[in-house]
Amino acid sequence: MSDTAKKALTWLVVLVVFVALMWIASLLTGPEGVKLQGLAWLLWTLIAAVVIYIIYFATAASEAWVVGTRQVVYMAIGAALYGVLSWWANAAALPSVSLVSLRPTVCLPIFFGFVFGPVVGFFTGAVGNILGDFLTGWGVFPVWDIGNGFMGLMPGLVLLFADKKRSLNALTIAVAVLVVIAMAIILINPVVAHPWTGEETNFGGWVWVFLIGGVVVIIGRFVLERAGVDLAAVNIWGTLGIIVGIGFASIADIWVNGYTFFVAMVGEFTPAAGSNILNAMILTPILLAAYQAVQARTGR
Amino acid sequence: MLITWKYRERNTIIQRLDPRARIIFMLAMLFSVVQFWDLRLVLGFLALALAQYFLARLTWRETRRAWLLISILIVFMTILTFLTGRGGVSYAYFEEHVITRLGPFSLPIVGWQIGLDITVEKTVFAISQMVRMFAITTLAVTVPYTIDPSLYGVTFRGLGLPDKFAYAMDLAFRFVPTLGRDFSITLDSQRARGYEVEKLEGGIIAQIRKLAPLIVPVTINAIVSGEDIIDAMDLRCFGIGKRTWLQKLRYRKADWALIAFSVAMFVGCTVVRVAFPALGFVWVPQWILNLATMG
Repeated sequence: MSDTAKKALTWLVVLVVFVALMWIASLLTGPEGVKLQGLAWLLWTLIAAVVIYIIYFATAASEAWVVGTRQVVYMAIGAALYGVLSWWANAAALPSVSLVSLRPTVCLPIFFGFVFGPVVGFFTGAVGNILGDFLTGWGVFPVWDIGNGFMGLMPGLVLLFADKKRSLNALTIAVAVLVVIAMAIILINPVVAHPWTGEETNFGGWVWVFLIGGVVVIIGRFVLERAGVDLAAVNIWGTLGIIVGIGFASIADIWVNGYTFFVAMVGEFTPAAGSNILNAMILTPILLAAYQAVQARTGR
Repeated sequence: MLITWKYRERNTIIQRLDPRARIIFMLAMLFSVVQFWDLRLVLGFLALALAQYFLARLTWRETRRAWLLISILIVFMTILTFLTGRGGVSYAYFEEHVITRLGPFSLPIVGWQIGLDITVEKTVFAISQMVRMFAITTLAVTVPYTIDPSLYGVTFRGLGLPDKFAYAMDLAFRFVPTLGRDFSITLDSQRARGYEVEKLEGGIIAQIRKLAPLIVPVTINAIVSGEDIIDAMDLRCFGIGKRTWLQKLRYRKADWALIAFSVAMFVGCTVVRVAFPALGFVWVPQWILNLATMG
């Protein structure tokens, strides 16, 4: 079989698997799906895995996915550092904002992903979280380990682009498209069940929230870019990683722990993602600047 | 500051089991328990998790801190779900019997009218939710205290992870004491220069920025040292051929029995859930239902 035929066949298989998963997802959200609600988070994880595989397969030729000796060592160092520093952040009485303790270590999976690629970033986040929980004795919570992995994987995707400016352009377009889709969904069906009361409520006003949010993000990109492309790229890709990672874990907890969507968003996502973004935006650029200085000196 | 693993050798029936079999059991039980909201079944899973915990001879003294922190989180999240009122509706229970009604209250700014119906189903769901979260936590907490950290690489290799990832995992566990020592040295050095991490001053942004003198040197030092390790591994042709492992894991009869039990539990639970959907919903005892009728 020729390479082109192999590639076409793989695409077909991936497409069939994805369609099958989406079909199962639609069954689970239908009246009969209630029987298998408990496995919905597994399906959620499988869909995420297939999406990552699609990204990988579409860009398999990129060096970003190479796992050689260098990547293996940095995976181990990143994970061990994330584990040790998470343990310290949990054990030390660091200052906190209300109930959410500061988690400065979140800059590590983002930094390792951004510099050494998505595989190193994912490993640093996922295994580092396991190590940190092992050192503190909290146990193993797979959904949160995967969520931490995504925090490192997303910034690593920047290496798939020819340069960082192009990656920012692609992200800006993606944000604009997502905002338009969200606004269209709301406008098409503005009356839905209220998350608290269950009564039919008009959420048409939220169109403005998405519009203003999207505009702020896009303006923020250009403001940050004026200070430097690297600074803008690490902050924006890092923020995306945190939103995807914490969002994945929080939403999975709706099925794992039985939270409402409101509790998952307000009780888990907002405090965790908010403090993580703040920590990452301040500490990751400092870490990156220090690394670039060392890299320039050693030439490696 | 000494960074140590929570693991210690106890020679218990749990520790004698193959770690691969134990991880399979943990995942099978996790996939099984999340399918049910019936309190009787969830209590059964909690009993199974507690059996593992006690057979591992873990003491309250060594797990106290983890339990306190996790319990606060579980109680807080359960109360929040209960107060927001829609947890379990349409997948764990489908009708509600009101015991009492609170509100409506008006939310500032958005002006939403929020009322809280205390119903029988919502109350039982909250109890089931709490028991289920404690069952999952009991299962998870046991792992770090009872699986030898030096066995993780070979364990995950045995579970099908590629050699390079399994080795990276093994290496990460081995790096922890070294990086822990480096971190302690850096912390002490910075303290000697007057740095007080416990008393960071300024606004929240300034406080976060002041953590950089601790995080940056440890990270950069680890990365620079990593180059020597890469060279050493490359010189030994790392990744060229198939790896062998110092430790060897072998399944024994008890491990096969545990794996068979785990698979049977997961398959059985899934079949039961599909065949008898009602078992997956919240179970409401008649005497609690009578409270609503009386109310």
